Amino acid sequence: MGGVAWFLLRRACWVVVTLWIVYTVSFILMRSVPGGPFDSERKLPAEIQKNIEARYKLDQPLLIQYFDHLGNIVFRGDFGPSFRLTDFTVNQVIEQGFPVSASMGIFAITFAIVLGTLSGIVSAVRRHTAWDVSFMTAATLGIAVPNFVLASLAIVVFVFQLHWFPAAGWGSLRQIILPALCLGAPYAGYIARLTRTGMLEVLGRDYIRTAYAKGLGEKRVVLRHALRGALLPVVSYLGPATAGVLTGSLVLEQVFALPGMGSHFVEAALQRDYPLALGMVMVYTCLLLFMNTVVDLSYAIIDPRVKIETQ
Amino acid sequence: MHHTVRNSFPYIALAGLFAALAWAVSFGTLPPADFSFSNGDEVKTVDPALAYGQPEHRVLTAMFEGLYRDWPIGFEMDEQGNVIGKPKPDENGNYPIGEIPGMAESYELSADGRVYTFHMRPGVKWSDGSPLTADDFVWSWRRTLHPETAATYGYQLWYLVGAKQYTEGRVELGDLVEIEMPNRPRADQPFPRGDICRAKLLGIARPPEVAPPANASDEEKEDLTSTWRSSWVYVVDHAAVPEASNSGAAKLAAYCKQPGTRDWQQYSTEWLDGARPASLPTTPETCQQILLDFESSVGVKAPDDATLVVTLQNRTPFFLALTAFYPLYPVNRACVEKYGVPDWTHPDNIVTNGAYTMEFRRVRDRMRLIKSPTYWDASRVKLQIVDAMAIKSATTALNMYLTGQLDWVTDVPASVIPDLIARPERDFVPTPVLIIAFYRLNTTRPPLDDVHVRRALNLAMDKQLICDKVTQGGQIPARSVVPPGLPGYKSPLCGAFDVEAARAELAKSKYANQPGGIPKLEITYNTNDTHRAIAEIIQQMWKNNLGIDVELKNLEWNSYLDAQHTMQYSVCRAGWVPDYPDANTFIDMWLTGGENNETGWSNARYDALVKQAAEEPDSDKRLRRMEEAEAILMDELPIVPIYYNTGKNLVSPSVKGFYHNTLEKYPIQLMRIEE
Amino acid sequence: MADPTPQSKPTPDTADIERYARLLEEARGIHGVSLWQDAWRRLRRNRVAMCSLYFVIAISVLAVFVPLLPLQSPLDKDLRGRKDLPPNLAPISLGSRDELRFEGNSLAKELAKFEARLAELRAGVSAADADGQLRLKQQIETLQTNEDPLRKLWNNPGPIVRWMLRLRVSLFGDWCIPSVFGTDDLGRDVLSRVCWGARVSLVVGVVATLVSLSIGVSYGAIAGYCGGWVDEIMMRFVDILYSIPFIFVVIFLLTILGAEDTKKWLDEHGINQLVIFYVVIGAFYWLTMARVVRGQVISLKNEQFVEAARVIGAGRTRIIFRHLIPNVLGIVIVYLTLTIPAVMLFESFLSFLGLGVSPPDVSWGLLVNEGTQVITPIKIYWWLVVFSGMTLALTLFSLNFLGDGLRDALDPRMKNR
Repeated sequence: MGGVAWFLLRRACWVVVTLWIVYTVSFILMRSVPGGPFDSERKLPAEIQKNIEARYKLDQPLLIQYFDHLGNIVFRGDFGPSFRLTDFTVNQVIEQGFPVSASMGIFAITFAIVLGTLSGIVSAVRRHTAWDVSFMTAATLGIAVPNFVLASLAIVVFVFQLHWFPAAGWGSLRQIILPALCLGAPYAGYIARLTRTGMLEVLGRDYIRTAYAKGLGEKRVVLRHALRGALLPVVSYLGPATAGVLTGSLVLEQVFALPGMGSHFVEAALQRDYPLALGMVMVYTCLLLFMNTVVDLSYAIIDPRVKIETQ
Repeated sequence: MHHTVRNSFPYIALAGLFAALAWAVSFGTLPPADFSFSNGDEVKTVDPALAYGQPEHRVLTAMFEGLYRDWPIGFEMDEQGNVIGKPKPDENGNYPIGEIPGMAESYELSADGRVYTFHMRPGVKWSDGSPLTADDFVWSWRRTLHPETAATYGYQLWYLVGAKQYTEGRVELGDLVEIEMPNRPRADQPFPRGDICRAKLLGIARPPEVAPPANASDEEKEDLTSTWRSSWVYVVDHAAVPEASNSGAAKLAAYCKQPGTRDWQQYSTEWLDGARPASLPTTPETCQQILLDFESSVGVKAPDDATLVVTLQNRTPFFLALTAFYPLYPVNRACVEKYGVPDWTHPDNIVTNGAYTMEFRRVRDRMRLIKSPTYWDASRVKLQIVDAMAIKSATTALNMYLTGQLDWVTDVPASVIPDLIARPERDFVPTPVLIIAFYRLNTTRPPLDDVHVRRALNLAMDKQLICDKVTQGGQIPARSVVPPGLPGYKSPLCGAFDVEAARAELAKSKYANQPGGIPKLEITYNTNDTHRAIAEIIQQMWKNNLGIDVELKNLEWNSYLDAQHTMQYSVCRAGWVPDYPDANTFIDMWLTGGENNETGWSNARYDALVKQAAEEPDSDKRLRRMEEAEAILMDELPIVPIYYNTGKNLVSPSVKGFYHNTLEKYPIQLMRIEE
Repeated sequence: MADPTPQSKPTPDTADIERYARLLEEARGIHGVSLWQDAWRRLRRNRVAMCSLYFVIAISVLAVFVPLLPLQSPLDKDLRGRKDLPPNLAPISLGSRDELRFEGNSLAKELAKFEARLAELRAGVSAADADGQLRLKQQIETLQTNEDPLRKLWNNPGPIVRWMLRLRVSLFGDWCIPSVFGTDDLGRDVLSRVCWGARVSLVVGVVATLVSLSIGVSYGAIAGYCGGWVDEIMMRFVDILYSIPFIFVVIFLLTILGAEDTKKWLDEHGINQLVIFYVVIGAFYWLTMARVVRGQVISLKNEQFVEAARVIGAGRTRIIFRHLIPNVLGIVIVYLTLTIPAVMLFESFLSFLGLGVSPPDVSWGLLVNEGTQVITPIKIYWWLVVFSGMTLALTLFSLNFLGDGLRDALDPRMKNR
C-alpha cells in the first residue's frame, strides 16, 4: 500500500496549497466588495465607527490584517471573533452549526443514495417499462422542482393536512425528517439519473454479454459486474454533493428554522462578517477536499482499471 | 490494491454510513418553554453597550432593567401579580407608554431641567446575589462611553456633560485628564483597566504632521492622522489633583501613547496660559490612554450607594425615556471584568439584573430565558421559561404559530395580511408605530436637483393605493416626515396625490422641454418583496402620470447601504425608526452634511431653525420651531414620504398583558398565559 | 495534429488528373450514413423523445414570437379591480385601465393618436428651417420617450420587439386573451408573464449551459487523458474554484459593473447585465461537468480503442477530441439536461443579489419564487405557483427526455437494436 500512502502525502501537500490559495482569494474578494460589517441603516457618528473598527483591528493595513488572521488560523486554529454575531467566536459558531447541518446532511445523503441508486438500477434493467418511466419521472421531478417549492408544498401537505411533522424547529428526530427529505430529493434525482445512464452504458459492454453468456443470473450480473462500472459517475458526483449537503442549505434552513451552517455561509457574506465568512469557506473547502480525496480513493477501489498514479 | 479491500469496500462504506446515522440521531431535546416568540433575525449581542436593533431590544428588556422602565400607562398589578388595573387604548388600538420606576425608586429634577437625582431602590440584586448600587450605573456608563468599548449606541449617553468628549478621546488644555498605564491585566480587553492616575493637562507637544500623498484615499489620510495623533506628547501636572494614588508620582510628567518617543522637546508645543514649566522630562512615559477625567468631568456621579446624580448638557425632555432604553442598562462589573468581551455574555457566565436570566443559547436557533429568582419584582413575573426564537422567515414563523409552536410572532408575510386581519380569533391587529417609509431623492443629480421635479414626483404618487393594495397592513399614506402620534406636534403636510397638479409642476421644471424628455430615474431598494412591489407600482405611476422612465435596481442589504451612504443612487427606498419618542429624531437628520441626510440637500434656513429648536428652553416654542423646519422640508422634498408604518404582531389569544404601542415596547415580564 | 506538409508538389500529368477525377466521381456516388443522420433516424423512432423535441421547439418558437401574440401586458399593474383574481374568462381589452388615460381607454386609439402627432411633427420637419428642424427633432424625441403608449405597457421594448408589438396591435387591436391563468398580487396577468418569462429563462438556460459545456468538457477530458501532474494541477484548480464563495464573486462583479463609468462604457458597447450574467453562470457550472467528464475519461483511456488510436500514431488532441469526447457524450448530454434546470433556478437566486433579471422584466425562476412566497396555510394562491411551475417543470421534463433520447440515439452500440 506504499502507493496509497505516497498518494495521500502528495494530496495533503496539495490540500495545504489549495487552502492557502482559497483563503487568499476569498480574503481579497471579500475586502473588495462595498460595504463594511458595521454598516447599518443609521449611520454612526464617525468617532464611534472608528472605535469599532479599531476594536476589530480593521483600521490596520490590509496586509497586516491578512497575516494576523492567517497566523491565528495556522498556529492557533482560531478564526477570531464573528463581527456580526458578536457574542461568539467563529469557532463557536461552527461548533454549534456543524452538527446540525451534518446530521441533516447525513440523513439527506443516505436517503438520496439509497433511493437514487435503487431506482436508477431498476430503471436501467427494466428499461422502457412503467417502472422506468415512473422512476425517471419522479427523479426529474426531484430535480426540476426547486427545494424551496418542494419544502413549501411538503409543509402544507405533511404539516397542515396530515399533521405528521412539526412545522419547523430543531431538536427532535421528527423535526429532521422533513427537511432532510427535501434536501435529499434533488440529489436522489441526480443519482437516479446518473446510475441509470451509467448502468445502460455498462450493460451494453462486452464483458456483461460474456457474463450473461456464461449463464450467470441477471441479479448476479447486475449487482456484481455491472453495478461497479455503473457507479463511477455517481461516485465522482458524490464528492462535491456530500460536501454541499453537509454544509447545509440556506433556503431549507430558513424555511424550517434550523440552526445550521447554510445560513451562516450566505449571511456572513451578505453581512460582510469577514472572519465568519472565511471560516465557512475554510470548512467547506476542507470538506470538499476531503470528500474528493475519498472519491479518488474509492475510484481506485471500485474500478480495477484505475491506478493511483505514483510518479 | 488488495483484492480483499476491494471486496470489503461496500461493507466499509455501509458501516460508515450507519455510524454517521447513529451519530445524527443522538441529539437530545429541550423541555418545552412556557412561552415562545419569534424574535426575527439572530440577536447580535446581549451586551447592552454593544447591542442595537429590535431583536436585541426584546431580549435585553427581559434580562436587564434600567433606572426606569417602559410601562403601559394604567396597567397595575397586586403583590401576587394579579392584574388590578388595565390600560385604555386610543382610537388606533394603541396603548400609551410611560416610564415607571425600575432600579431607581424615584428621582428629582433640578429647576433648569439638567440635573437628575435618582434614588436607588433598596435591596435590588444581581442574578448572582450581589447587591446592585448606584456605582454599578456609573461604571456601566463609563464602560459604554469608553472609546475602546466601541459602543454602537454610545451616543445615547452623549446628552450627559462631557460624555461625547470622553468617547472621542478629545482632551483640551486645562482639562483634568485620566491617564491609564499600559499594565492592563488582559491585553485584549479594555476592562479591567490598567492603573489610572489623574492630572491637569498643561501642554500638548505635536510633531510636524506628515502631508499625505496627493492620490491618497480618505482612509489613508485618516490612518496618517490617527498615527500622527497617537504620537502627541501630553505634559500634565499631578499636583493639581490631590489624591492618594498620585502622592508618589512626580509633580510634572509627560505621557505619550507611542512607546519610545524621543526628541519631543523639539515639537511645537501648545501651553496652557502661563503654565510653561522651566524643565521638562527628557523621555515621556508610555501610557495606554489619555481621556477626559471621568470622575470630575462627565455628568454621572454616585455620592453614595443609593444616589445617582446625572448632569445633562441641555434640558432633554426625553431623558427619562432614555433611562429605560437598553444602552443605559447596567452590567455587572465583576462578571465583565472576569470573563471579558464577548465571553461574559455566555449563558454560563452572564449576570443580569432584570426579570430573566439566560439559561441556554444556540446560534440561529433560540435563546432560552429563565425567570430570575433574585429580581426585586419576581413575584409579579408569571412566565417561568421563555424561548426567544431566531426565525428569519416570516412564513416559517407563521407556520409555527399556526401549529402552536409560537405564542407571539413579530412579523408576518405581507401576502396574508388581509386574511390574518379577517381571522375570527382577532389575534392580528396592526397598529400604527412611529416609523416612516420614504424615498430619498438624490438632489445632486439631474433631474432631481430641480425642486419642481421633486414636487411632481410626490404629487404623482397615489399613496393611498399603495397602502390599500400593496402593504395592506393598515399603513397610513404619509405627507410628512414626522409620523403622527407625538404629543403636541402637528406636522405640516406636502402635496396630496393630484395628477394634473403633478403635470403642471413638471411643466415648470427646466427639464420639461429638454430633448429626449426628462432624464431616466432609477429606484434603488434592498431585496425584499414589499419594497419591490412598491417600487414597481411607483415605477408605473411615474411613467403613466408623468411619462418619466424609471428603472429598478435591487441590491443586497450591505451594497444597498453602501449605495445610500455614498449617494450612488438617484431614488432610494428608506425607512426611519426613532431613537427616542420626539420629533427631533426625524428632523435633525436633514441638517446640511448630517450623517443620515444622504440626499445632498441643504437649506440654511432649515439648519437655523433646527438649531434654534435645540436651544429653545420652552417646550411648546421648541415644537413650533421644528414644525417650521419640517414645512421647509415638505416644500423642498429632498425625500418623498410614502407611508407611516404599522406594527405586525400576531399574538395568541391566550397571551395576556400584551399592549400594542407606537414604540413597539413589549415587556415580557408583563405577559402571562391564560387559557 | 497537423500533418507534415509535403516537401514539394509533383506536377501531375493529365492522365493522373483524369484518374483522380474518376475516383472522386465514384466516391461521391457512395452515400455514407453519418453519425448524425444515423442518430436522427434512431431519435425519430423514440416517441417520447420526439414529443419532447416538439415541445421544446414549440416553446422556443413561442418565446421568440411572444410580442406578436394577443396577450395582455405582462407588467401593467391594475390594483383596483384585478388584484389576485383566480383564473377567469372575463373579457379584457388593452389600455382599459383608467390611470393610463388612454384615448377612449383603448391602446389602438391612443397609438393612432400618438402616431398621428408623430407624423404631424415629422411632416413639419421637412418644411421648417434649420433651427426649427432641430427643435422639432427634439420634440419628436421627447414625444417618443415620454408619450409612446407601447412603452407604457411594455417596458422599454427594443426596436424589433416594438415593431412586433406594433404589428400585434394592428392584427388584434385591443383584443387580448382573458386572464385564464389568473392575476398576481399587483394585478398583472399571469399568462402573459409566463410567456414573457419564457424568453428570459430559455435564453439563460441554453446559453449558460452551452458556455459551461464547452469549457467543462474540454477541460475535463484534457485533465483526465493527460493524467499525472497535469491532471493534478487542473483538478486542484477546479477544487479551488469550487471553494471560492461565488456570492462574493457576484457581489464583486456587481460592484465593478455597477460603478457609474463602467456602466456607461458597457451601455455604449451594447453589453447589458444579462450577457455578463450568462458568463457568470457559465463560469460556475462547468466545474462539476469537468469532474464528471474527467472521471469518465480516466476509465476510458485504458480501453482498447484508445490504445489502437495511439498505436496508429494519433496525437493527443486528436485522441481527446475525436475518440474520447464522443464516447463521453452520453453522460455529458444527461448532465447537460440536468444543468439547464439548475441554471434556470440559479437565476432567481442571482436576482436576489441584484444580478440578472430585474423587474419589470420577468423570468420563470422569479415567477416560481413569487408563487412560493404565497404558499401559506392561511391562503394559497395556487394559480401563482401552479402555472409557472407547470411550465417550468414541463420544459425541464421535455429537456430531460430529449436528453435521454439523444443519448440513446448517439450511442454507437445502440446501432443494431
